[in-house]
Amino acid sequence: MNVLEVANLNKYFNEPVRNQVLRNVGFQVERGEFVAITGKSGCGKSTLLYLLSTMDTDFEGSITIDGEQMKGKTNRWLAAFRNRNIGFVFQFHYLLPEFTTLENVMLPARKLGEYPAGRTEQRAMQLLKLLDVDAHALKRAALLSGGQQQRVAIARALINDPLIIMGDEPTGNLDSANSATVFGLFKELATERKQTVLVVTHDEDFARRADRRIHMADGSIVDA
Amino acid sequence: MKKRFTNIALSASIAATYMKAKLRQTLVATAGVAFGITVFIFMVSFIQGTNEYTQDVVFQQSPHLRLFNEVQIADQSLLDKCFPGVVNVVHHQKPKDILLNLKDANQVLEDLAGDPRVQAASGAITTQVFFRLGSSSFNGKLNGVNLEKEDQLFNLSGKIIEGSYEEVTVRTNSILMGVGLAKLLNVRTGDQVVVTTEKGGNFAVIVAGIFKTGLTDIDKQQCYASTKTVQKLLGAPASYLTEIKVKLLDKELAHEMSHELQARYHYQGSDWKKDNASLLEGDVLRKMIVYGVAGTILLVAGFGIFNILTMMIYEKMKEIAILKATGFSDSDVKGIFLTQALVIGAAGAVMGLAFGFLISYAVSKVPFNSDVMITLDHLPVSFKPVYYITGFTFGILTTALSGYLPSRKAAKMDPIAILRG
Repeated sequence: MNVLEVANLNKYFNEPVRNQVLRNVGFQVERGEFVAITGKSGCGKSTLLYLLSTMDTDFEGSITIDGEQMKGKTNRWLAAFRNRNIGFVFQFHYLLPEFTTLENVMLPARKLGEYPAGRTEQRAMQLLKLLDVDAHALKRAALLSGGQQQRVAIARALINDPLIIMGDEPTGNLDSANSATVFGLFKELATERKQTVLVVTHDEDFARRADRRIHMADGSIVDA
Repeated sequence: MKKRFTNIALSASIAATYMKAKLRQTLVATAGVAFGITVFIFMVSFIQGTNEYTQDVVFQQSPHLRLFNEVQIADQSLLDKCFPGVVNVVHHQKPKDILLNLKDANQVLEDLAGDPRVQAASGAITTQVFFRLGSSSFNGKLNGVNLEKEDQLFNLSGKIIEGSYEEVTVRTNSILMGVGLAKLLNVRTGDQVVVTTEKGGNFAVIVAGIFKTGLTDIDKQQCYASTKTVQKLLGAPASYLTEIKVKLLDKELAHEMSHELQARYHYQGSDWKKDNASLLEGDVLRKMIVYGVAGTILLVAGFGIFNILTMMIYEKMKEIAILKATGFSDSDVKGIFLTQALVIGAAGAVMGLAFGFLISYAVSKVPFNSDVMITLDHLPVSFKPVYYITGFTFGILTTALSGYLPSRKAAKMDPIAILRG
């Protein structure tokens, strides 16, 4: 079953001049697939990812996630959909520095409001343990090292058991040991928990070991 | 419903964490709002207290509406009657010599007593007199009143400081004298004074009591006696009354009723608003000053809140983007920042009300002696709840407004522009 379907996707930037960044992009991703999107800087791969993340709503064509058309939905609906179905990991960790590690991980779950607070906390602790940062659970996020923060951010992306996990250079700032851990985790999520993983990366090694690789150039897919 | 509640609780808890991290700025902003509200409460209580005090003193002495006769120039001269349709010019027309009494005054008083809007009505004769003291004479005003009714209208018996009110009602040729006038004439209760009327007659009257209203003008000039005594002094018949004073149940009806009665009985009339126009106008102006000053202070406090939130939003752009990425909607983000503004506003307003009350209370205990306002011993302060409600609403509105703009800015922020760097 296709979790993600993209058809005839066109995207323009209007500033400073009108410029087409995505040309007729179309592809499908199945449930449990581990996909790497590669390409040179400026080829449109990040733009594509942000469109798929539902945060960018200014496009032509169609994006369907889990059978739902993303076009024309309200901000509130999209936010709730993201909260439920999409886990995002960025190149820079982007934690909320005033909150503890544990609170950071719990935030999306509290927003979802599906489980009572105790249960959510338990799950967050399990994830932190899985990523080996449980010792820092009650520290403020600002006090953690870069690698630790990135692992916390991954735990936060996983807290609501999302359908799709998206990453924008998730290993871009990590050393090779940490990169390997993150890759292993994504692989495991895809194969064992049947969660779809979609990662934009420059890392050749990372891309080669993914299930599938979508290569882009000049706003089009050249090799899927 | 439950979902909405947990959303609000979540926004509030994030707002709380942010405020804790910026505790000092938050406290300064709260203090700003509190200061504005404190000043507002204090000023409005003090100024309104003063207004109410002077109004009370004056209105206790003045009826809600008065009916009287006035010497008037005729609109139509005799020439106009003889030669209608011709332009007649009369220079320096003089008024006709008329009696200033109200025709059928007793009938009108009976009518008014039956009117459901009227609390009490009393007929009176007012006349200018002179008091002799050795070779000097002093101006005075003698009010011949229905003493029983006058007491209902103005609580005259409560203002007697020497002698007795009852005595003047039973004893003919006795008067009640203002405290200032008594001092001037050097008389006490039981003394005799000589009164000279406008027409030149001299009468000896006995001072049965001395009153003090707190209004210097009245205390230094006026005397009260029964209508019978004054009628006798003037050589007028028992039906002779020059003024009807009316106290209404609702004093706001005075203006309308004054016109109605004037038209019905062909008297001249006036109401308390007309009689005290400058006093009331002064009250309005003072109130405007209070609102102006408090508004300015709150505006400054509002700018404080606006600044803090705007700074915070710029500092937290990345975090706002991440909140949106993890599923917080634009309005959730708006809620986080608006909550901060409202908490600052509410806390500041409540503190302001408390401080305002304390300062007002302290001021109301300050002793104050004045020769003009004789019945005043402490500064007058009003503690009406409506000022506190107004202050609170005012504070919340200002902070909500100054918090709304930055919050909307945060809500509109494009997360992608920030996340992509």
